[in-house]
Amino acid sequence: MSEYLKPLPVIQSFSQPFWDAAKDGKLLVQKCNSCGSSIFFPRDRCPECWSEDLGWIEASGKGEIYAFSVTYEGVEKAFKEDLPIVLAWIDLPEGIRMQTNIIDCNPDDVSIGMAVEVTFKKATDDINLPYFKPVSG
Amino acid sequence: MSLAIIGCAEVPTKRDPERKRWDILKDVCVRAIQDAGISKDDIEAVLSVNPMAQPSMALDMALGRIPETLGLKGCKDICVLNAGGASTTNCLRLAKSFLDSGWAKFVLIPHVTVQSDIPTEALINFFATAPLDPEWEYPYGVTFNGAMGLITNRYMHETGTTPEEMASVSVGLRGWAALDPMSIFHGKPVTLEDVLNSRMISTPLHSKECNFLADGGGALVVTTHEIAKEMGRPAAYELGHDMAFMGATPVLRSDVFSREAYRSSSRGALEKAGLGINDMDLRQIYGAYPYTQCSALEGYGICEIGEAGKLWASGECGPGGSLPCTTMGDATGRGHTGSGVSMAFYIDTFRQIRGDTGERQVKDCEHAIITTAGGSVMNACTTIYGRSAT
Ligand SMILES: [Zn+2]
Repeated sequence: MSEYLKPLPVIQSFSQPFWDAAKDGKLLVQKCNSCGSSIFFPRDRCPECWSEDLGWIEASGKGEIYAFSVTYEGVEKAFKEDLPIVLAWIDLPEGIRMQTNIIDCNPDDVSIGMAVEVTFKKATDDINLPYFKPVSG
Repeated sequence: MSLAIIGCAEVPTKRDPERKRWDILKDVCVRAIQDAGISKDDIEAVLSVNPMAQPSMALDMALGRIPETLGLKGCKDICVLNAGGASTTNCLRLAKSFLDSGWAKFVLIPHVTVQSDIPTEALINFFATAPLDPEWEYPYGVTFNGAMGLITNRYMHETGTTPEEMASVSVGLRGWAALDPMSIFHGKPVTLEDVLNSRMISTPLHSKECNFLADGGGALVVTTHEIAKEMGRPAAYELGHDMAFMGATPVLRSDVFSREAYRSSSRGALEKAGLGINDMDLRQIYGAYPYTQCSALEGYGICEIGEAGKLWASGECGPGGSLPCTTMGDATGRGHTGSGVSMAFYIDTFRQIRGDTGERQVKDCEHAIITTAGGSVMNACTTIYGRSAT
C-alpha cells in the first residue's frame, strides 16, 4: 500500500476509543451518561451539561444525507487525486450530524435525503477513516 | 456609548505583489486622518485589524510599529484584534470603549492584507486549516468553497431557490462592483449566463460565485457623537449594535444559514436605534458567499423564507433597484482581502451615508444596516448607522 499523504486526523486522548473502534470497522457515537445527549465531535466534557461521565454506543452505521457538495477544484495537493470529492453532512439516527465524504458512487447520483451507510478505509496501520456510501440495493 | 465614523481611506483591491504592506498601511492611515479633518497627533489609540496569514505584519502591528512609524505623538495605546472577517467590528467595539471612557477622542483603525506574495498552495492550506477542525474536518478535503457550497445546496433545497436565482445574487454583487473603482472587478459586470457558465468549483457554486483572493487596505477614523456633531463634518453615527454567535464549525450549527442570527442581531440593533427594518435605505451584508445575501434578507424580515432569491433575480437588490443591498459588492464582487472585507464594508457604509460613492450612490441614504461575520460565518454582528445622531 502506498504511503498516505493526506492529512490524518489529530487524535486526542478522549477521542481515541472512536478511532480504536474504527479500526474494527465500528462507528461509535459519544453519549453523555448524565443527560443522555449524543455528542459530536467527541469531547472530554458534555457540551450540554458539563458532565465528564461520557460513554459510547455503537451506531447502526446507517444515515441520511442532510447536505452535500461536489468539489472539482481548489483542494490541497494531497487531495487532488481524489477529485471530484463529495463532501457531505450525514444525519445519523443516533442523533448526531457528521461531516464526511460520500464514496464508491458516481457524484452525479448523490442527492439530499439519500440513504447511506458507513464504510471504512484504511489510511495507516493505526487509522481507519469512516466514509459513507449509498445503501446498496 | 457613542461612536461616529468621520474619516476613511482605502486602496483599490487588486493582486499586485509590488504594492508592499507598509506602503499601503502608511497611505491609508495618512489619508484617513486627513479625511477626518484632524491632525495626526489627535489620534489617541490605534486599534488594528489583524492581518490574516501575514505573521510579520501582525507582529509589527501588535508591537506598536504603526504610531511610531507615523509619528502619532498623541497615541496612548495600541491593540490588534482578531475575529477573522469580523475583526474590524471588534476594533470598532473596542474603539467605543476607548471613546466612552475618555481615554481617546479620536481612534485610528487600520487594515492591510497582501495575499499575492503568498504562494497559492500556502494560501489554500491556510484557508483549509485555519477554520477547520484537524480531527473531524481536515482529513476529508474540506475547503471553504466546499463547506459553503454544501450549505448553499441545502439552502436551495429547502427554499426552492433556483440556480438562476442564486446566480443572480452574484450578478447583482458584480453589478455594484463594476461601478466601484475600489473593486478588483471595476468595469467588469457579469451576466447570468457568465455566472452559470463559469467553472463548477464546489456544487452548486460556480467560480464566479466564489471568492477571488486579493490585496487591499483601508482605515477608519472614529470619534464620539458629540465631537462629530461639533466638528460639523459628514459622519456615520452608530445608532445600534447587536450580535449572535452560531459556532466555529459549520456541521455543528443548528442555525445552518445564519438566518436566526441575522434575525436576532438585526432586531436587537434596530431596537437600540429606535428604528425599523423598513427605515433602512441600504442593507450591507458580509457573508462572503451568495446564500448569505438571501438568508440575511429573510432573517432581517424583509421577505418570506424562500423569496430572497426572487428579489435578487428581479434586480431590486442591485444597481438601480428599489432595495439596494451590499453596494460594497461583498467578497464575491470586491475581491477577498482576508480580514479586510468588513473594513471595506464599513468604509462603504460611511461613504454611502456621506453621499460620495458616485454611480453606486444610494439615493438619500440616511440609514444603513450592516452585518459582518468572521470565521466560516461563525457569527452575525449587526450595526445600524445614520446620517445624524438621533
Ligand atoms: Zn450531558
